[in-house]
Amino acid sequence: MSERQSTGASRRGAQKPTRRSSGGGRAWLRHHRAMMSDSALRLVRRPISTLLTMLAIAIALILPAGLWLALDSARLVDAELDESATLTVYFDADVDESRAMSLATEVGEQSGVAGTRLVTAAEGLAEFQQTLGVEDALSQLDTNPLPASVVVTPYNTDPAAVQSLSQRLQTLDGVDEVRLDLAWLDRLQQLAAVGQRVALALALLFGLGVLLVVGNTVRLAVESRRQEIEVVTLIGATHAFVRRPFLYSGAWYGLGGGVLALVMLVVGGNWLASPVAALAESYGAQFALPSLGTTHSAFLLLFSTLLGWLGAWLAVGRHLADIKPR
Amino acid sequence: MIAFEHVGKRYGGRFEALADINFRVERGEMLFLTGHSGAGKSSLLRLIMRLERPSRGRVLVAGHDLDRLHISQVPYYRRQIGVVFQDHQLLFDRDIFANVALPLTIQGVEPIDAGRRVRAALDKVGLLHRERALPIELSTGEQQRVGIARAVVNKPALLLADEPTGNLDPQLSADIMRLFEDFNRIGTTVLVASHDLALIARLRHRVLKLRDGRLVGDGEAA
Repeated sequence: MSERQSTGASRRGAQKPTRRSSGGGRAWLRHHRAMMSDSALRLVRRPISTLLTMLAIAIALILPAGLWLALDSARLVDAELDESATLTVYFDADVDESRAMSLATEVGEQSGVAGTRLVTAAEGLAEFQQTLGVEDALSQLDTNPLPASVVVTPYNTDPAAVQSLSQRLQTLDGVDEVRLDLAWLDRLQQLAAVGQRVALALALLFGLGVLLVVGNTVRLAVESRRQEIEVVTLIGATHAFVRRPFLYSGAWYGLGGGVLALVMLVVGGNWLASPVAALAESYGAQFALPSLGTTHSAFLLLFSTLLGWLGAWLAVGRHLADIKPR
Repeated sequence: MIAFEHVGKRYGGRFEALADINFRVERGEMLFLTGHSGAGKSSLLRLIMRLERPSRGRVLVAGHDLDRLHISQVPYYRRQIGVVFQDHQLLFDRDIFANVALPLTIQGVEPIDAGRRVRAALDKVGLLHRERALPIELSTGEQQRVGIARAVVNKPALLLADEPTGNLDPQLSADIMRLFEDFNRIGTTVLVASHDLALIARLRHRVLKLRDGRLVGDGEAA
């Protein structure tokens, strides 16, 4: 192709300043790849400042993530408590064993009852002696003072549902008293709700913190490449083209911060594990600190990367407007 | 190629940089824009590059009414114009090849194709052997030639130059002007803003003369 011909071709092309469609997608991908590695290289070339930025992001991520883990472990405890959210139905003292059995069946047929376990007067006494170790004192009694009872497991452990079930059971003939301790269950649920809101508020605040950290870092990067931005704008770079490297560095900062946060969570978890286990042991309980699974780790990384990208997007958008070629 | 119709430009509402400018430039023309500093040369070029919009009148370039060009189309419009800056505006963090390739990178030209075109442009300005050098290793004259290679690598229909010989000695300036004439000979419209009157007079092209924002002369250099 001679130069004259090609000039003619570009002149014809000059009629419409529209996107080149030929190979546009491939060129776009190529530029994305180039900017992905270029922005990573720029970060690697300044390891200390990069690491400091990522560390700031990591710390901002660790607080909500740690609280989330704590809530998660609280949910585990909660689940165990739900199972123990049973009602005890005490029968009248004059109810004998056969009457107690038929009453237990009647209780079991009530709606909302998942299961029943009959505790006869004799069994009740044996249990009482075992758990309290007051065998001697009780053996001096002539008659068994305990009534027969039935332990009811409700289908729905929601406090309101348990409350209404308890009221219905109370009306049955031969039932003396229905016992349940709802107040503390209620309080625990409210506490969990407060915890969730606090976690959400913290996540929002620290998420904003990540945006600001990345935004400020990217703002400096934009400033340091001002001349380059001016030149490429003058020779026809689109906003997307100019923004791209900065968006990638934002995403890298976010990803790096996320990885650092994961590492710190694992290291911190291991560091706390043995004293926590020892503490649980002393209470005769088994308790292991929860850790982020693969899914949640991946989610954390994705979230931090997106936050980094968003922070960069906000900062670049704001500062590109200030940069006008002279 | 270029048409200015009653164009005026005010900055900050008071200072009148350009007033009632009218001229036409045909395709394939080569012309100079002269005037002392502050006469409005830069303002006029900035209007053509669509860095600014006129306060009055219309600017038409390559069939586009620049005032009606949508902001999202401006980058694509600018790709049709090659610009040579007085201070060449090279990027010092990359080599000569990458600097010249910049417009092609922006347009997403295939790397193999781009390499061929960059070498052709560098060959044209006589710097093919320096493609791996950094701008800092080049003399001022060489840097300016790299700036020209970057402006033409894209084979633009219109080439603008803002004081391209401002920092060069007479011999180098003449070389640069010859380069522009070469590009003009193959059909590129060339508009050079310069105050080097002696050089312009020797070259015998059309000259637009600005004084205090007004067009006071349009014709071949005397």
